[in-house]
Amino acid sequence: MQKQGYWGYIFTLPFVVNVVVFLLFPIVFSTYISFTEWDLFNAPRWIGLDNWVRVLNKHEFWVSIRNVFVFALIFVPIQTIMAFVIAFMLNQAIRAKGLFRLFYFLPVVTPWIAGGVVWVWMFNYQYGVINWALESMGLDPVKWIDSSNWLMVISSIAIVQVWKGVGQSMIMILAGMQNVPKEVLEASQIDGANGWKQLTKVVFPMVTPMVYLVMILSTISAFQAFDVFLGLFGSITTGIPERNMVPNLLVYRDAFLLFKMGPASATAWLLFVIILVFTLFQKYFEKKWVHYD
Amino acid sequence: MSKKFSAISLMLAFMMIFSACSSSGGSTDGEASPDQSTDNKEKVTLKIGLPGSYEVTSKEIIDGFITSHPHIKVEIQEAPWGDFTSKIATQIAGNTMPDVWFQENATILSYGQRGVAEDLSSYIEADLKADEYIDGLFSAKAPDGKVWGVPHGINPIALAYNQDVFEKAGVAVPTDDWTYNDLIEASKALTVKEGDRTSQFGFIGSFSITNGWFPWIKQAGGSALDDTLTKSRFDDPKTATGLQQLYDGLDQGYFADIDFLKANGGELEVFASGKAAMYFLQYSLQVNMNESFADTNWDVVKIPKGVDGKRYVPMVANTWLVSSRAKQESKDAAWEFLKYYLSDEVQDMIVKTGSTLPVKKSALDQLKDSTTKPLNKAAFTDGIDEGGVTLDENATWSEWRILVQQVVNEIMVGNVSVEDGVKDIHTKVQEVLDSSK
Repeated sequence: MQKQGYWGYIFTLPFVVNVVVFLLFPIVFSTYISFTEWDLFNAPRWIGLDNWVRVLNKHEFWVSIRNVFVFALIFVPIQTIMAFVIAFMLNQAIRAKGLFRLFYFLPVVTPWIAGGVVWVWMFNYQYGVINWALESMGLDPVKWIDSSNWLMVISSIAIVQVWKGVGQSMIMILAGMQNVPKEVLEASQIDGANGWKQLTKVVFPMVTPMVYLVMILSTISAFQAFDVFLGLFGSITTGIPERNMVPNLLVYRDAFLLFKMGPASATAWLLFVIILVFTLFQKYFEKKWVHYD
Repeated sequence: MSKKFSAISLMLAFMMIFSACSSSGGSTDGEASPDQSTDNKEKVTLKIGLPGSYEVTSKEIIDGFITSHPHIKVEIQEAPWGDFTSKIATQIAGNTMPDVWFQENATILSYGQRGVAEDLSSYIEADLKADEYIDGLFSAKAPDGKVWGVPHGINPIALAYNQDVFEKAGVAVPTDDWTYNDLIEASKALTVKEGDRTSQFGFIGSFSITNGWFPWIKQAGGSALDDTLTKSRFDDPKTATGLQQLYDGLDQGYFADIDFLKANGGELEVFASGKAAMYFLQYSLQVNMNESFADTNWDVVKIPKGVDGKRYVPMVANTWLVSSRAKQESKDAAWEFLKYYLSDEVQDMIVKTGSTLPVKKSALDQLKDSTTKPLNKAAFTDGIDEGGVTLDENATWSEWRILVQQVVNEIMVGNVSVEDGVKDIHTKVQEVLDSSK
């Protein structure tokens, strides 16, 4: 018994070291430096709650929180619904199914740099393909990412994030759908369920755990949005307008461009609290619609 | 016993794996020293950080230093330009930074304030003759007299013009006597509209700092900061006038705007293809022009004079710094490297690369005989001699510059008026300047 325990410690040691060094230590250390003034070079100086107060008093922080909330509220439902619908369609007996799956998954493996360039061009106010299409239909062009209306900009970026992420979510839900027993579907068909009823009364309830997982992961990725903003705006130094900021951009700017680790850590912790509350909120409603049996 | 031995072996294996992972990632030893037999104990190791690797700093220079300094073992730490900033930040935090590296001059100034950089004033005084160099040698000099680095090179701007476009339009090409009004009027004359669309613009209305908003506010008599670099001057009406002129050019359609530039491949592509007749070109971009657009018929003149008849030539510098935490022997080796870098031999190499202007006067003189485009390189060299200005760089430049750029972008796309924009900028910039006191 003792010998077994001995080997257990040995084999888990690398993972324990990994957790301590790369998870626990950063958590504890970032908490500590959020109460200090630290420029990465000189020793941290304890300043109490100053960073927290300063961050919470900054207009740009609240703007970034507003943006990321709206971003999540637009992105998560659209991504989840689209992923579900596409997965359902690709789960049917259709031709070139593999090709369609590849088509929807392609954006997932496309680097943000390349995707950003393409979307920037598509969103171009005067010369972009989207406005060209609108104008062809007699509609006015839209300032998708240059608009003074922050909601328009955040919505446009959320759509790009859906383009990038829907493939991954679709694969997860598709995996869930493929686990739905054929017998169940056949039985429902015999009982007179049409396609819509099968989808809503049989398939959906059985894949709700996957849908729930997709929602949780999408929510976290929405609150951690960073690449999509940099991909579309270029870089922080080129001047992303304050009204379009999200918390992770502020964290990156403060930590690595301005060497203000204290405010960066405080912002990161505040973001963590928000994600936690949002996830707990989703968890609270989990039992009402997610079926694990 | 054998199980204990196995367990110890396993742990040793893990330790070896971890230690292998933690070896100096991204760093490579320089070319082997020609004298490998030299006793390593006597060798000083010098870690040189190269953002942009050998695409920015010629390998010939590093190899030359290794060959001529056999007692110094050179270790190169390189990273793509964009990644270097993050990498060096974490290296500084972990106290594993190189002994000498270069970054934007403004960043070096902030390093100086934080104690990262060694004051080089005594080294310069002892080993260099200041009159052999242009003023740019002291780009990293702080108001208190400390010098936090020496230039990797200077990059001023000049007014580039596409000769074919001017000839076709029958407009006289720019001269060194031009004012900004001449530039505006010529831009109007050179703009070609086809229906609702513009097929050719007079000038590229960039609104980044170096070749965009900064020269425009300087020519109008304004500035970003005052002479002490502690007060914002965005409340100065002259500053607003400069921004307004740039905005008018974009709004009224005789300056190419950001949409046009993005849709047509960027500033260089637009200029080289003749879709814009003029452009404030940074010296280093001549390399790209010659590589990618060798057939374009173009040249440069000094950027136009301001309203007060003076010329203001914005120049950016990348600056070498020596880590204040390096061992004294490594600091000395780093200074050996910088002296080598500032020597005639290397400054001549820099001239040949064309990627930046050297700071040694003798090397600059060689540019007069250059036969590559642009032929009139004196527009750059005489330009900085006549009116070279930094971008009002101080220790908080990185912070206030982002804030300014955020609002300038909004002004130039028409989301915010110049009047409201400069008020906003002034408040924000002054707040940053005050917070650093």
